[in-house]
Amino acid sequence: MVQSAVDGDAAAWKALVEGMSPLVWSVVRAHRLSDADGHEVFQTTWFRFAQHLGRIREPDKAGAWLASTARHECLKVLKGLARLTLTDDPRVLDRASEDRTPEETLIDSEEEADRAERVRRLWQELDGLGERCRQLLRVLMASPPPSYGEISAALGIAVGSIGPLRQRCLRRLRARMNARGAV
Amino acid sequence: MNGGDGMPEGPEEFADAVLEEELRQAAVVLDPVPAELLQVALEAFALHDLDARLAELTFDSLVDALPVRGAVDAPRMLTFRAGGTTVDVEVTEDGLIGQLLPPRPARIEVLGGPQATRPLTVDPLGRFTSDTPPSGPFALRLRTGAEVIVTEWLRA
Repeated sequence: MVQSAVDGDAAAWKALVEGMSPLVWSVVRAHRLSDADGHEVFQTTWFRFAQHLGRIREPDKAGAWLASTARHECLKVLKGLARLTLTDDPRVLDRASEDRTPEETLIDSEEEADRAERVRRLWQELDGLGERCRQLLRVLMASPPPSYGEISAALGIAVGSIGPLRQRCLRRLRARMNARGAV
Repeated sequence: MNGGDGMPEGPEEFADAVLEEELRQAAVVLDPVPAELLQVALEAFALHDLDARLAELTFDSLVDALPVRGAVDAPRMLTFRAGGTTVDVEVTEDGLIGQLLPPRPARIEVLGGPQATRPLTVDPLGRFTSDTPPSGPFALRLRTGAEVIVTEWLRA
C-alpha cells in the first residue's frame, strides 16, 4: 500500500489514511493534549508521512512510523507547555470529542440506552485506572487493532511488556466496572 | 487478537478480549477521528514530492537545548540539514528569521498545509524574514538554482 502511494496511487493513500488515522488519533488522545494541540500534532504527523513517503525504509512498518512520529510530536507539545508554565492545564481540557452525534443516535430504545450508559461508564472508568493503563488502553482500542510493534512505538514501551500490561489493565477495568454494578 | 497473542486461552483471556473489543467500539462512538482531520490527512497526499530534497530537522531547541533560567519565552531555534546545505530558523512570536548556508540566493516559501503557501523575503545571502509567525504545522520550501529543498514538517 505504501509503495502504491509512493507511485502516486491516491486510492492507496486514502486506504492508508483511513486505516491508520485511528491509531494516530489514539496516540494524540493517549497524551491528553488540548483539542487545538492534538489537531496540529495529527496534521503534522500526516504531513510528515506524506513527505517521507518513498524514503521510509520499512514500508510494512508505516503504522509504527506514524505512531512514533505522533508520540514525539506529543512529547514536544508537552515539553513546550511545561516550559511556558501555562495556567490552563491541558488535562482539564481532556474529554471525548465534541462530536457526539453517533452516541445520541444510539439512544432510541431502552436497550440501546442501557448500552450507551455502559459505554459512557466504561469511558469514565478509564480515567481512574492510572496513567499507564489509560494510555495503553487508549492506543490498544484503535481500530483496526494495532500491532504490538505499533503500540510500542506509540507509547515508547517495550513490546514484551505490552501483553502483561494489557492483561493487568483490562482486568483492573473489569473489576472497577463490576464494583459499580455495571454488568 | 493482537500481534503478540493468539486465540484467547481461557475464560479470563476471553473476557479480556471481549472487553478490549467493547472499548474499541466505545472509541468509535465517543472519540472518533474528527472528520475535518481525516480530510486534511487525505489532502496531505499533495505534499508528497519525490523531486524535492528533504532537509531533516537536526536541532530543535525545544528538545535539544538546555533550559535557560529566566528565559521564559526563548525563541524556538531550528536547524535543518540536507547534504551540505543547512537551514537555520528562529521562530518568535513576531515571525521568523533564518538563513540558508552556505549563503546563496534562493526563493523561499512557508508552507502551511497542502494548499497554503506564503513567499518570504530573501536577501542575496539567503537570509530571510517573515513578520507572520507560523500558526500550526509548517515547512519551508527553498528553490536555489535547479534544486528544491523542503524542510521536515513540524509544529511551530
